[in-house]
Amino acid sequence: MSILEYNGAAIIAMTGKNCVGIAADTRLGIQAQTVATDFKKVFKVNDKLFVGLAGLATDVQTLDQILRFRQNLYELREERPMTPKVFSNLLSNILYEKRFGPWFVEPVVAGIDEAGKPFLSEMDLIGAPVYTDDFVVSGTCSGNMYGMCETLYKPDMEPDDLFETLSQALLSSVDRDALSGWGGVVHIITADGVKSRVLKGRMD
Amino acid sequence: MAVTYGEGVDSGVIVGADSRTSTGSYVANRVSDKLTPVHDSIYCCRSGSTADTQAVADYVRHFLAQHAITLDSKPQVKTAAYLFQKLVYNNKDRMSASIICAGWDPVNGGSVYCVPLGGACVQQDFAIGGSGSTYIYGLMDASYRVGMSKAECIDFVKKTISHAMARDGSSGGVIRLAAIDKTGVERFFVGGNDLPFTPQ
Repeated sequence: MSILEYNGAAIIAMTGKNCVGIAADTRLGIQAQTVATDFKKVFKVNDKLFVGLAGLATDVQTLDQILRFRQNLYELREERPMTPKVFSNLLSNILYEKRFGPWFVEPVVAGIDEAGKPFLSEMDLIGAPVYTDDFVVSGTCSGNMYGMCETLYKPDMEPDDLFETLSQALLSSVDRDALSGWGGVVHIITADGVKSRVLKGRMD
Repeated sequence: MAVTYGEGVDSGVIVGADSRTSTGSYVANRVSDKLTPVHDSIYCCRSGSTADTQAVADYVRHFLAQHAITLDSKPQVKTAAYLFQKLVYNNKDRMSASIICAGWDPVNGGSVYCVPLGGACVQQDFAIGGSGSTYIYGLMDASYRVGMSKAECIDFVKKTISHAMARDGSSGGVIRLAAIDKTGVERFFVGGNDLPFTPQ
């Protein structure tokens, strides 16, 4: 089994009208065995920026610590929050630093920039970024998630619509994957704040 | 899994299984039927390679049907188990098939036979198999009692399969059950929303 599939993950982020949403499953497994159903894979960077980390669980947690450290340093020096574009670039740089012994994570960045415009990016484990204006996915069932997003996505959804679309896309994708699921969380980020909800899904 | 209940000729078996078939991590079929009849009152629970177990079950069904004609009565469950054993043992290097053969016959009542990968054939009061079975050995040992009633047995099978589905990535979907006794076979279905146990 590939090292990126050792623990299992599923993460989707989508843009809406002046908002972004990011959703992830909450399973932690050791190959086929499920060990925890409350494992965090999406982390808040600041009020307008979230990062989702799919891949080897130990690297997910370590990178979360590294990113929080770097973000704190940035805010102390710059005296302003990091914008999504800058954070995405920082993350890409951190990953490429380890080009020949990489972090086994494939991250997804979702946020709202200073002008209020939604931002998404996704990169591979060595930091090659992709910027899109509709949706990004990462995880062990990425094929399933691409299919669901292509079908369900429409541009300029309101926050509540975005939540429904994200939830259905995630739940249907993980139900066809033996390594992800066992619960989910969705965060919807708007200019006014973040609304986080826990998803009730199949626990098998 | 398969569990015997009751005593003597009034005894019977409950066979149960999950419904997930995976190719690697992709769930190819989330509603598969792993309980296969090989005769009127004899079922088998298939685990391992679907192709291998379906082929073996088809062979056994064929031979049992012929045997039932020459015998002019219902074949014994141990005969079916013996046929499974012959096929699995003689082809052990070429196959990955782990089968539980269970049912009711007029001579022995309800009985369960386990035919694992190597081709052994062992009669047991209850048997479990498949990747998810490793998570429920302890639960089985702690909760199984000889001579349970049919209803207790059904609840027992539903509960243990739910626990395996909660922990094993390769198990999930719905629970299919069949109750086999002297009156015949009754099939049950437990949907994903009605599982007796789900993790929090």
